[in-house]
Amino acid sequence: MTRQKMYFRMISASLVRRRSRMVVALLAVMIGAAILSGLLTIYIDVPRQMGAQFRSYGANMILTPVLDSLSKDDISECTSMIPESDVVGVAPYRYDTVRINERPVMAAGTDMEGAKKTSPFWAVDGSWPGKEGEIMVGKKIAELYRFKLGDELTAVYTSEAEGNDEELVDNEMTFVITGFLDTGGNEEEYVFMSVSDLSSLTGIDEVYDVCELSVSANEEKLNGYADAINEAGTAAKARLVKRVTQSETAVLGKLQALVLLVTVIVLALTMICVATTMTAVVTERRKEIGLRKALGASDNSIITEFMGEGVLLGAIGGIAGAILGFLFAQAVSVSVFNSSISFRFLLLPLTMIVSVLVTAVSGLLPIKSATAVDPALVLKGE
Amino acid sequence: MIKGAFVRQWKKMAMIAFTVALGASLATAMLSVMMDVGDKVNQELKAYGANIKVVPKETSIIGELYDVSDGESVGSYLKESELGNIKTIFWAFNIVDYTPFVSTVAILDGNEVTVTGTWFNHHMELPTGETLDAGINSLRSWWSLTDGAFIDEQDDAERDVALVGETAAEKYGIKTGDKIHLDGDAASGDFTVKGIFNSGDEEEDKIFVYLDSAQDLAGLEGKVDSIEVSALTTPDNELAEKAARDPSSLSINQYETWYCTAYVSSICYQIQEVITDSVASAVRQVADSEGSILEKTQLLMILITILSLIGASLGICNLVTASVMERSGEIGLMKAVGANNQAIIALVLTEIVITAIVGGIVGFFAGCGFAQIIGNTVFGDSIEIRALVAPIVAVLVVIVTLAGSIPAIRLLLSLKPTEVLHGR
Repeated sequence: MTRQKMYFRMISASLVRRRSRMVVALLAVMIGAAILSGLLTIYIDVPRQMGAQFRSYGANMILTPVLDSLSKDDISECTSMIPESDVVGVAPYRYDTVRINERPVMAAGTDMEGAKKTSPFWAVDGSWPGKEGEIMVGKKIAELYRFKLGDELTAVYTSEAEGNDEELVDNEMTFVITGFLDTGGNEEEYVFMSVSDLSSLTGIDEVYDVCELSVSANEEKLNGYADAINEAGTAAKARLVKRVTQSETAVLGKLQALVLLVTVIVLALTMICVATTMTAVVTERRKEIGLRKALGASDNSIITEFMGEGVLLGAIGGIAGAILGFLFAQAVSVSVFNSSISFRFLLLPLTMIVSVLVTAVSGLLPIKSATAVDPALVLKGE
Repeated sequence: MIKGAFVRQWKKMAMIAFTVALGASLATAMLSVMMDVGDKVNQELKAYGANIKVVPKETSIIGELYDVSDGESVGSYLKESELGNIKTIFWAFNIVDYTPFVSTVAILDGNEVTVTGTWFNHHMELPTGETLDAGINSLRSWWSLTDGAFIDEQDDAERDVALVGETAAEKYGIKTGDKIHLDGDAASGDFTVKGIFNSGDEEEDKIFVYLDSAQDLAGLEGKVDSIEVSALTTPDNELAEKAARDPSSLSINQYETWYCTAYVSSICYQIQEVITDSVASAVRQVADSEGSILEKTQLLMILITILSLIGASLGICNLVTASVMERSGEIGLMKAVGANNQAIIALVLTEIVITAIVGGIVGFFAGCGFAQIIGNTVFGDSIEIRALVAPIVAVLVVIVTLAGSIPAIRLLLSLKPTEVLHGR
């Protein structure tokens, strides 16, 4: 039997035979490793997950036309400059004044699906317009006209024939009210319809006045996207909604700092906890060390053997803990943010290395002190 | 005997106490931070500005929708004299900031511009004895200056000053330090430009002056056309939604619960009670988002706290088990000389519990320290240590220590003294 084989047999046998003690040690390492990998995973993932939450504040970038208006192609040209995975929603708007019961009302034409995504805070009583001829009415307009859900309203648009004031043409269209919009803002005084309805009412092509974008990115990245769009010389000028981007940067920064600090403190305390337990487990074996020395083992061989045990323990505990920690982080992510996180493979070796280091270092001190003492004294129990 | 154990085995005992202290400090710090994180994050979210807007009843539509009608505003106004009332409502403590606005159109070198009168950092002495600095300097935290300085109501003696939006400044060629002449409906005045701001929205087109200056220009003494309020609120639930639709649909009990909870709808309702003929409504973009972010952050912190509590408990438990098991020789000897099981259990437990209590107390204070470090670094504000934290930590420490030592002691008791002493 070679030396190496014997070495492995000794350290593995020590783990198997002294089962109860080793379970205690292994458990300690595992808890440490689980907390390490769990918290790190959460820390790495928090900006992304929280960033997504902050999108509930709505659009953080708007595109305005450089000249008169934006076409659908202009908008898709601009949005294509932003990575698709970052774009949460795109809602182009077109505003025109129409008359309802001979009173002027601002009508907005948009893509309802996009508006839902860029303005998640809009509370709609009833449902969003889904097909042609359906309209959503702001709360204040609804109160003014005493509209009820399902009512019909007729919107009139007078096209301004240029240089010919006498020949005003009235376009009329009848809509079914599907929902009332409550936002607490100016939108409550508008009516919303699909852009195709608005263009058939006004007789003007499908063009837009402004486009709202909700992009999941930090301020720096957003500025980069806006600059790229502005420099590319498209028909649109990109601007950031300062109120949303700046506040998000500030609040998100605080949250991340909070999680970081909590992670650091929890990790430091947990690692010390693991270290004391490991020290206790090793100290207990002073007698064994004394006996070996009495039988003629060198200090080095004893240290190597104990270190071998420690490393093995650290490695097993580290892997088990890393997996446990990931499961925890996953559970947190699912219950808090309703989304899963991907396993970061880099964390596995990292957790293992840290666990091995902590076990080795915490074992080293008591072993050193045990080997430094005269074996006779140790065996005698003094 | 117990004293002897502490004196002679102080190293081991110190280690147990140390681990317990670590665990307890971890638990204290995390619990304190968790309980306070809601308030702190809520404060941070105030960066998004006002979450309640108060406008006069009726005709509120016209002014906002058609800029043109601003000058000859038909409609009603709120009274400036009632502004202080906002700080007297049931949830006055939760109102962190508010500012009135009055807008008018004035002529600047032949061009029409919107002039808005407001508070910058208005100092108020409240009837309750508190003081509050409120105004757009804090309520528009996202504004940045491209030039000049913000208007400071307390330091500046000069009242005829103005803050000009970037777009307006470019359009009319206004620079910091310029004197501008504004011709209003009722009066005209000269203003010194203190600064040019960038806000990223339509407010860049406007000129901001003191509330009374704008009132003079427009001839609207003592009148205000809107108030923005920033309040700390509790996320809405079903009750709040029901109440928001119609407070009279609630039962008396429900009404009381609703009225005495800081829902955005109940604060709105209370503001309407103290400001004559007003409609207070939640700015959904801010109010709703706040709720959801607050909820997520709290949940996240609760889960991290649970993880660290489990970690701390298992850590303590583990060490206690390890250190009790280590004493098999001693216990065997005691049994051999005739000690009964109860005596041994009592002895070991007393030792461990005394150690744990010492460690726990030290840990509690250390934990308070950690919580303050977190609070000061992250939020620049101390974290309030709730009275509830101490008993929770105490119970946790005692349970965990007992849970850690009992199985180990049982194991040791079942050993035969001869075998243990023999070293098997």
